[in-house]
This record gives sequence, C-alpha cells and structure tokens, in this order.
Amino acid sequence: MITGGKSYVSSVPAFSNDGKKLLLCTGNTVSVFSTSTGMQITELEGHQAPVTSVFVVPISTSASKVLCYCWTSSLDGSICYWDFSVPELMKKVDVQLPIYSMVIPGLLHPQIHSNGKPSDLYAYVSVEDTSKQGDKSKVLRGQIRKCNLSESRLLGGVTLSETQHPEIITISASGEFFGIRNKQRLHVWKLPSKDSEHDVVRKMTLHHTKKLTILAFHPTERILAGGDVTGRILIWRGFGKRIFSANEKQINGRVVKHGEERPGVIGDDDADSCSTWHWHAAEVNALSFSSDGVYLYSGGREGVLVVWQLDTGKKRYLSRIGSPLLYFTYSPDPSLSLISCADNQIHLLEMPSMELSKSISGIKPPCSFPKIYQDSFNGIAFDHTAGLAAIRTENYRIQFYSLFDNREISQVQVCERNHQPGDDVTVFVTLLALSIDGSLMATAEVKLPEEGIGGLVCLKFWASGSQGGEFTLSTVIYEPHSDAAISAIAFHPTQRMAVSSSYGGDFKIWIRNNDQQSNQMLQKSGWRCHSVGTYKKKPITAATFSPDGSILAVAAETVVTLWDPDKNVLVAVVGETLMPIVTLSFVGRSEYLVSVSQGLKPQLSVWSMSKLSISWSYKLHAEAVACMIDASIFAVLVLSNSSEKVTCEESSVPGSNGLILLFNVEDPVPLVTWSVKKAQGGALAFLKVELSLLNEEVTDEKSSQAILAYVNSDHEYVIFDPYNRKDHKITTNHRGNLIPLEEAGRSGYTSIYGELQEFDINGDSTPQITFVPSERPWETIFSGSSHVLPPLTKLCSVFLESLLEKRSAVQD
Amino acid sequence: MADGELRKTFPVKPRLKSTPKNPSSSPESKYWRSFKTQQISGLISAITSIDFSPEPPHDFAATYSASVTIYDSQTFEPKAKISDFTDVAYSATYRSDGKLLTAGGESGLVQVFDLKKRIPLRQLRGHSRSVRLVRYPGLDKLHLFSGGDDALVKYWDVASETELINFQGHKDYVRCGFASPASSDMFATGSYDHTVRLWDVRVSSLSSVLQLNHGKPVEDIIFLPSGGLIATAGGNSVKIWDAIGGGKLVYTMESHNKTVTSLCVGKVRKNGGEQSQQFRLLSVSLDGYMKVFDFSALKLVHSMRYPAPLLSMGFSPDCSARVIGTSNGALFVGKRKKDPSSGDNDIPGMDKFLGFGSLEEPESRVLKPTYFRYFQRGQNEKPSKGDYLIKRPAKVKLAEHDKLLKKFRHKEALVSALNGNSPQSVVAVMEELVARKKLLGCVSNLDREELELLLRFLQRYSTMPRYSGFLLALCKKVLQLRADDIMAEDVLKGHIRNLKSSVEEEIRTQQSLQEIQGIISPLLMIAGRR
Repeated sequence: MITGGKSYVSSVPAFSNDGKKLLLCTGNTVSVFSTSTGMQITELEGHQAPVTSVFVVPISTSASKVLCYCWTSSLDGSICYWDFSVPELMKKVDVQLPIYSMVIPGLLHPQIHSNGKPSDLYAYVSVEDTSKQGDKSKVLRGQIRKCNLSESRLLGGVTLSETQHPEIITISASGEFFGIRNKQRLHVWKLPSKDSEHDVVRKMTLHHTKKLTILAFHPTERILAGGDVTGRILIWRGFGKRIFSANEKQINGRVVKHGEERPGVIGDDDADSCSTWHWHAAEVNALSFSSDGVYLYSGGREGVLVVWQLDTGKKRYLSRIGSPLLYFTYSPDPSLSLISCADNQIHLLEMPSMELSKSISGIKPPCSFPKIYQDSFNGIAFDHTAGLAAIRTENYRIQFYSLFDNREISQVQVCERNHQPGDDVTVFVTLLALSIDGSLMATAEVKLPEEGIGGLVCLKFWASGSQGGEFTLSTVIYEPHSDAAISAIAFHPTQRMAVSSSYGGDFKIWIRNNDQQSNQMLQKSGWRCHSVGTYKKKPITAATFSPDGSILAVAAETVVTLWDPDKNVLVAVVGETLMPIVTLSFVGRSEYLVSVSQGLKPQLSVWSMSKLSISWSYKLHAEAVACMIDASIFAVLVLSNSSEKVTCEESSVPGSNGLILLFNVEDPVPLVTWSVKKAQGGALAFLKVELSLLNEEVTDEKSSQAILAYVNSDHEYVIFDPYNRKDHKITTNHRGNLIPLEEAGRSGYTSIYGELQEFDINGDSTPQITFVPSERPWETIFSGSSHVLPPLTKLCSVFLESLLEKRSAVQD
Repeated sequence: MADGELRKTFPVKPRLKSTPKNPSSSPESKYWRSFKTQQISGLISAITSIDFSPEPPHDFAATYSASVTIYDSQTFEPKAKISDFTDVAYSATYRSDGKLLTAGGESGLVQVFDLKKRIPLRQLRGHSRSVRLVRYPGLDKLHLFSGGDDALVKYWDVASETELINFQGHKDYVRCGFASPASSDMFATGSYDHTVRLWDVRVSSLSSVLQLNHGKPVEDIIFLPSGGLIATAGGNSVKIWDAIGGGKLVYTMESHNKTVTSLCVGKVRKNGGEQSQQFRLLSVSLDGYMKVFDFSALKLVHSMRYPAPLLSMGFSPDCSARVIGTSNGALFVGKRKKDPSSGDNDIPGMDKFLGFGSLEEPESRVLKPTYFRYFQRGQNEKPSKGDYLIKRPAKVKLAEHDKLLKKFRHKEALVSALNGNSPQSVVAVMEELVARKKLLGCVSNLDREELELLLRFLQRYSTMPRYSGFLLALCKKVLQLRADDIMAEDVLKGHIRNLKSSVEEEIRTQQSLQEIQGIISPLLMIAGRR
C-alpha cells in the first residue's frame, strides 16, 4: 500500500542546521528534502495523526553542525524527538491533548545549572482542550500550556492563555519572547532567564482595531510586527519595556503616565511607538524578519513577496508567484530561504537576489470552480499504465503526478494565461480525459461570457511527447458543439478516435487523420469530426467506448443507448433510469455496463448488454466508478450521507463519509468494502502495475494484476491491492485516511456478507430478484429515431411477444 | 527553470484559423511566390515563344506576331526588336553562346540573326509550310534542326544554308522539339500525330531512334536536366518518360484543366540537398495556371493562377526571372532578388541546355583548438557536429496592445489594437478583455474619437462569419451603452446607418442562401437515396 499526496504546506517548514535539509510536515509523517536537489531524502514515521510543528534543535558550535535532532508535535497528542539523519525515533512524550503548535525556548539559549547539569527542558504547546464540549463558537478550547519534556509530562495548572481556537505560537530568534495572536490582540510572553517549573512567565497584550493574522519578532531588538486581515502591517517598537523590565509590584500598582509621546500606540499598550505599513490588499499570511533584522518579508493572498527595509519602509517585490503565500522561512545558510505557497508548492529562493532556485511541488490542491461546471467531473484523470494522475490546477494547467513515486512529473499549460490569486476566474478547464495508453489527452475549457458576450467553449487534443507527461497541443476546436457545454470526453481504447458529448443534445466522434504521404504532411495531422449523432434531441450526459472499441455507449439524459462508432448507427437502446446519468463505464471485457446517476434519486445500475436490460441496481450516491480493464470487477466510491441511516460499522469511524465498494458484475453483493474519509469529490482508478513495486512476496497471483488507487477530495491518495490479504501488515504505519476493515481477516467473504445484509436496507431494489429480460419493453421498443425503427408491422409482433414473455416470467 | 515558469507572459493570440489542406507557406511555394510579378502589355498578339539567353545578363526573346523583342531580364525594358519578318514569326531561339538568334516563320523560312546588328545572316529555305520549331542542337554552333507543319524535321548546316538530313516519320504538324542535353547529335520532336520521336543524326536510316505515344497532340517537349527523362505536354496532361529505359512512362501529371502549352525547367535555390533535387518542372496551360512539379519526389509543389490563357514561359538560368506569355499579348514577368549568399558564377558556355551553372562550394577547413583562429571565432560561427547546443529561450514578442494589457491599461490596449489593421488581433484583445471582465467597462469609457474607431471596426467586421457571433453581441451592447453619445454626433450616426445596412444586406444574403438550400436539399436527399 502506498499513501501520498499529502500537503507540504500544512505547517511551517524547518531547515536543518547546515541548511542542506528541509523538514516538512506531510500528514502523519515528516518528510526530509534535500535543498540542493529538491528531492525527498527520508521520512520520519511514528505519529498517528497529522504532524503540526517541527522544531530543529539548534547547534551553537559550528563543529557539531552535522548533528540532526528535531522535536515534532502532532495532533495525536505526542511530542517526538528524532535524529533525522538516520532517521530514528529517540524519545516520545505523550501529552494526550491534540497539539497544534509547539515552541521550545530552552533550546535557543541553553541554560546550565550551577551544578553543571542541564536544566529540564520546557516546551510551550498550543493544545485543544477536547474535554470542553458545547457550542464551538463560545467555548475557549485553545490553550497555551507548558510541558516538561525532560520528565515528559504536561504541567498541571499552568495555562497561560485560553483562546477560542488553538493558535500558532511564534517565538523570537533569541528565545526570549513568544506570542500568539488572539482576534484583535497579540499576547506576548517573556520567559524568565531561568526557566523552571514554577517560574511565572510574564504576559503583555497589544491591541489593534482589526483582526490580526500573524506576528513576527525582530531577531535582536524589541520590535514586533503583526499583520492583519486588511493587509496592514503594524510595527511595534520597544514593546514591553515597562511590563517586562519592572518587577512584580510595579506592575500591579502602576498608573498610566499621561502626556508621554507614543505615536500610534492604542490605549495603555506597552510600546514606544507603533507604525503601520499598508501595501497588501488582502490579509497578510507570511511575515518574517530577516536574520539580521534589517528587512521584513511579508506575503499574502496576492502572491507577491514584499521586502520592506525596516528603517525606511522602502519596498522590493518578488511578484507573479501565482499562488497565495503561506510562510516565509529563512535558513541558517544566509543565501537560502523559502516561501510556501497555497498550491502545495515550496519555492527555494536564492537570497539577496530573490531568484527562484528550486521548487518542491506536491500534488496540487483541488481548485474551486463554480458549481455548474463541476457537477460530473472531479478534475482528476488517470494514466493507468504509467500510474500517473492528471490533475487540473488553478493556474490553467494539468499536473501529472506519479502516484507510485509521490512526486510531480510535469505540468502542461492548457490555457495560455497566468493565474493571479484573488482575481475572478473566467476560464476553466472543465474536462480532462486521457487515452488508455496515456499517449493522448483531451481537455475542454470554458470561458465565461461577460454579460452575455464572448463566451467560448474550446476542445483541445494533445499528443504526448517523448517523455511521459509531456504533451504538445495537436488540435484546437472552438465551439465543438456550437455554444453548448461539453459533458464528457472519452477515447477509443485502440484507435485514434474520441467522442465528446454535449448538453446541447449531440455527440461528435473525432478521429485523428494522419496523412502520412510525406514528411510535410505528417506535421499537419490533426483531429477532425468524423460523425455527429443525436438521440431525440436530448442532452447527452455521458459517453464511453467499450473495451474493444466496437461499441459506443451514450447516455441521453436518462436513456442508455449503444452506437456503432464507425458507422454512426444506433445499435440498441438499453433502458432508462430515473435521473440523468452522469457516468457510464463498461466493466472490463464482460457484457455489462455500469451507469451512475446523481441527484434526488441517485442510482448505481448495472446493465446487461446481452439482454439489453438492467441487471441490478442500488440507490446509492456514487461519486466515482472505476472498472478493471481485463476483469469483470469494478469499484465504486459511494458517499454515505449522514441523513441516511447507515448501520454499517465502518461508518461509525469518525470523519469517514464514504465507502469504496468492490463488486463483481454478476453479483450484487460487494466483494469488499472499505471506509474512507473526504469522499466528496474523490476519484478512483485501477492502475496496472507489476506488483513487485508494492510487495515483493506476492507476484505470481493471477488476480492481483490491477491495484486500486483512491484520491480523496484533498488530493491525498492511497494505492492498495484490493485482493491482497496480507496488506494490513504493511499498512500498520500508514493508516492515513484509509481505515482497513478491522485490521485483520475481515476480507473473507462470509464476514462481509454478514455486514452487507444490513447495508442492503438502503438499496431500493432487492438484488436477489431476477429481472425479466426487458422490464418494460414497450418503452424501449419504440424509442429511437424514426428512420432507425423497423416498420410497425414488425414491431407489433415483438411487442406482443414481449408481453407474453413478461407474463410467463411473472407466473414463475 | 522555476524562474522562467514564474515570469512567463502570454501575448494575446487570435483564434487559430483552420489551415488549408495544402500548406501555402511551405518553403517551396514561398520561393515561387517570391517572384514579384508585373505585367507588360501592349504586345499585339499572342506570345508564342520565350527564350532566355544562356549568357549573362540573360536577356530573353519573346516571339509574337511578326516580330521578336529582346528584353532585359533585370529591368524588363525592351532592348531591341527584330521585325524582319514578312509573316508571323515563331520560336525564336538563342545559340549556346548567346550571340545568334534563330526564328522560324509562317512562310516556312528559317532565319538566323546576329544579335548586334539584328539583320538576317542566313535564310534557310526548305519547309513548304510554317515552321514552328527551330533549335540549336546542344552545344553545336554550326547546325540547326527545325520542324514544320509539313510534318518534316530537317537538320541544317547553317553556314552553307544547306539541308543535311530530312527526317520523315511524323504524320502531322511538328510543333515542338528539344535537343538532348546529353549529346548534341540527338534531339526529340513532338507532333500533333500524338507521337514524340527521338532522332539521331548519326543514324543513317533516317528513322527515329525512339518513339513515344503521348495520346494527345504534343504541344511541348523538354529533356529534364539529367538527359534521361523527357517530359511531354499534350492535352491537359504532362507525362514524364524514361528515355534511356526504352521510353517507359514514369509519371502522368493531370492537374491542369486545359491544354498544357509550354514546359520549362526551373531551379530552386536550397541550402543543402543534392543539386539534382533542386530542379522543378514548370508547366503553363490555357486554364491560366502555372504549376510547379517536383519530378524527383513526383509531387506538385506549387500552383499559381494568372488571369489569361498562358502560351509560353521561360525561366532565367540564374533563377532571377520568370516570364510567362499569354494569348492576349501580355507578358507576366516575375523577378526575384538575387540571393547575396549564392554568389553565382556561371561558367559561360557550359551546359547551355541546363542553363544553370553548378556551384562549387569552397572546402572550408575545420577549426581545431590548435589553430589560432579557433580562439577568434565570432558570433556567426556555425556549430560543428560534436558541439552541444545550448538554446536560448525564444523571446516572446509583445505587440503594443500586449504591453498595455500587461500594465492593465485595458482601454488603451483596445484602442491600440483598433488602430492597427488586423481584425484578428482586435478580436483577440476583446476576448482577452472579456476574460478579464473589462470589455464593457472599456466600451463605456471610450471617448468620441475612439468610439468612432470602434464603430467603424464593428461596421466593417461584424458581419464577417468568423467574428459575427462575438461582434454582433458586442454591437448590441455598445449601442445600449453609448446610445446617448451616438445620438449626439452625426458622424457616429452615419456609422450606425452603415452598420444597419450591412447587417440588412447580410440578412438578405442569408435568406437567399436559405432559399437555395431549400431547393438543393430535396435533390440531395433523392441523390442520397440511390
């Protein structure tokens, strides 16, 4: 089993002491990347829930720079101590509350006791108090607590602050101060010079009129910067002089001195002055002083990194990053720093010149589109042979991501546009299809009209280049179905043929003509329309080719029709569903066809093409269907709505809202089920792979030629062998989003059969009932274009015959 | 790598056009179109023959009516005119050294002229009917062959004005002939009896060495430069025969619609490639087309139309001029700028029948790091075979409107595009503005002159099918938004009136097209049923 696709930018990254390694929190693990190559070196595995912060132990002497130790905190309530060069878990501290952020000031200025023994190490953690239940908006669930790492226990009774939500703690470079933001306030604590269990850390608060988003400490001076939601940056100079320097008595009995000149400081705040810089138009997300304290780096939703000269306020920019900035981190190496972007990409910057030297890009996050354009397509297509996922990105590209290697292969620019975060998006890549061998790609894009003018639908065909994932534009077709939107694109499995269907009521078959007369003509090969078909002027909602390519199945809203793709002749009308069909798919080499309809009455139906009738169906909200190419098995990703009463045990797993069901077409009882999280907008695919990649032991099993890949709505994915019973042994460390069936032996047929008795309550049609070959033949016999229909005299006998048949079946 | 990724600028691009099936922009046709054509008219009647002098400066002689005019091939000014003909003149031909010119005539008289004095030096009498074919055989300066409407081919000794051989064999008019480039003793003639006969003066039997049947009256015949292939024109077809292989038919080109009247060999200047692949067969026809045929690839590479039936053509040996004569007395002359790169030094007298001097490439020494010059190589140094080429990324060329769009000055960008003269780029800019949701804002901000510019553009292009879907919707919006401004100005009102009339005309056109469609579609249905 392989998991991957985790977000690289979920929390602040950290550099190793020599600046050659980069530690990123990736889900339940911490990944170590090389800054020189941008490739992953190793992974720290041990946490059971997402890791929230990494704290590299600083080394003061240059000789010991090679030492690589770090502390990590996680939502599972544990703090771990690692040697990340090996990698090895050295120590684990259990706090039992989910930790959202952690700082260890003691590491920044190590203290030696008088007796020469190092003092206890204390960490300040931001935890969520899970004991408090109730209305989430009222209860203060976030707490700042102190934790003794040496004795591995949370100090009772020391709660520094309580906030609504757990906040990120920011610490100054010297380790003297740390602070959090809380709505319109900043709380800053000064650590006592000797940190012990009972010392009281002193707290001060700075106020602002807007909601603050981030704060940063100056490395040497008493300067504090804060960013707010409106894009302003506030610089407090000389904060905390009174409170932190005075002794306790004075604090309690102090009187505000009036008449003192303190420009910009609100009320009684303890700061010399407060100045405001305003350049960002939206909220400031990244804020950091340079290591020498001369510059301040800020970034926000615009995707522009602004460098402020602290004394003068002069600005320099690094623009066109193309994605909202999340963090700015500088490394111990003065010539290297990084910015984390919201599109799961980390850019390494060469410092004085601010040139991009390297990018580490993870799987792109799903992009938001208006609802009307994403009803049937989830933005992911699969290259089954190479194991690539093609993912639509926000900046009009297709990212090819290797699911096996967990890295980006390439990006293809589909529309020649630059994406600017925050702008109105008017051009969308709505559909994406790859041929089975991965050599052809088709994309559909839509340009929104401005008050009714200038809208454009565009179909593009791409041909792969020399390397995998490299595509060059072959043909552009403007308005392929006049101005109607495209509902589906599918490639012929063997020939160079594709079908596109539209809501406007027609589908077109495109073929690629290769005039191989001479070299000059070869370059002009392109796609052209081979034929156009319509079915009763109904919107065509789905289309697919059969695995041998001899039949084209087209869903005309609710009717499933079969066509001969070469001659463009309606072969048969299979039947009708209640709601419009969104996905059609042939199951391997078998004679069955799976259709999915969504809406108020969702339905998952399996149609037999030999009998031209429905075989069995469930009332299920299927999100995705994947069919094995060479076996009669398919997998369905099903959303389990909370409103529906789901009695399966799997659904009681917290946070899971979907099921993957594996079916054999002839049997309506699923072979296996898995419960998954974040299923809405997920995708499923069977990938072809030699199993030696996954598991060296099992290679000769006949049934395990295809493995199942599941990508959830956050584009985290898991790849597993649906047959492999030994899987759970390997997967103990990778629980991820997939919860295997009670870890052991549950994949046996009998146990599942037992569960599914309960599950079948949801199905509106009992699968055991044998269906009459054609359920209601008078509906289908007479459907079809009038020129295709046989004469009425012939139809009459068929009609009567079918009535007779039905009666006899009912009598049985 | 990542740096380039971030700072990419995409210029707005017009929508791609569907490319025609024959790419018009192939380097071949680019070359053939690079001849700047001009017309010389005023010659009284049909130009029956054009011949270029094999000697530089490659003047050419055009035969028409009862005169032959010598033109300068650079300026296309008439240099001299020979009008010592009592009747219609035919087939004026240069000798291989370019000093003498021979022409036949309607009366059957063949005359040899000195080009300097332009007086007939010799007069060869023997044909009883008109002579349409006179040629010098190869490099031979002393003999002539001629063919006449009396179906006879005669071989003359020019100096003594005597007829050496009288070839009999053709059964109809002999109208064309060509000397073999391989031997000056051999030549081929074509006749209206559909046959082409290859004659050898050394054969005493007086019968033809080879006979080819074209199938139509042969209008023109030419040896291709290798000497092994013969191209014949007759009817609407051009056939290529293998003369060495015993007269086997190699290829038939039937791309002309009417009788092919003249053939000629042209040459494409190409860098690299074998010289034999640079020759092309040019043919002209009464249908007004000139076609260029690549006989090494057996492929038609270019086709060009002239507004008159074409009768004769000639191609300058230095590839700088192409002359086509028509039946109504007009000459289409095309001139090409001489490539400075191809310093052409024709060796005079050498293979007149090819007419093209071979170009000897000076052998350049390969520079090695041991040479001093190796370190002084300049920018223009060509890479050698083993060198690894580091390509500089192609610079994106930005038009003015692109630069303005980059600075988000949307209205200026629109106006700048409107001021240009390419409707595609205007529409492209408009579509980009739609994508930025700024088009209507721009329209409402246009001042009077700019609005006039926009209205003029709309009036001109909104009925063009390629743009109409977009522009007509825009027209509506513009009229809604700027109704008050338009009402206030007479000039703008005029534009609106024009717009209205052009839209009305388009509607009328569409209606009549629909009527035609209504008539045709039942017919097509019936035809499809059978």
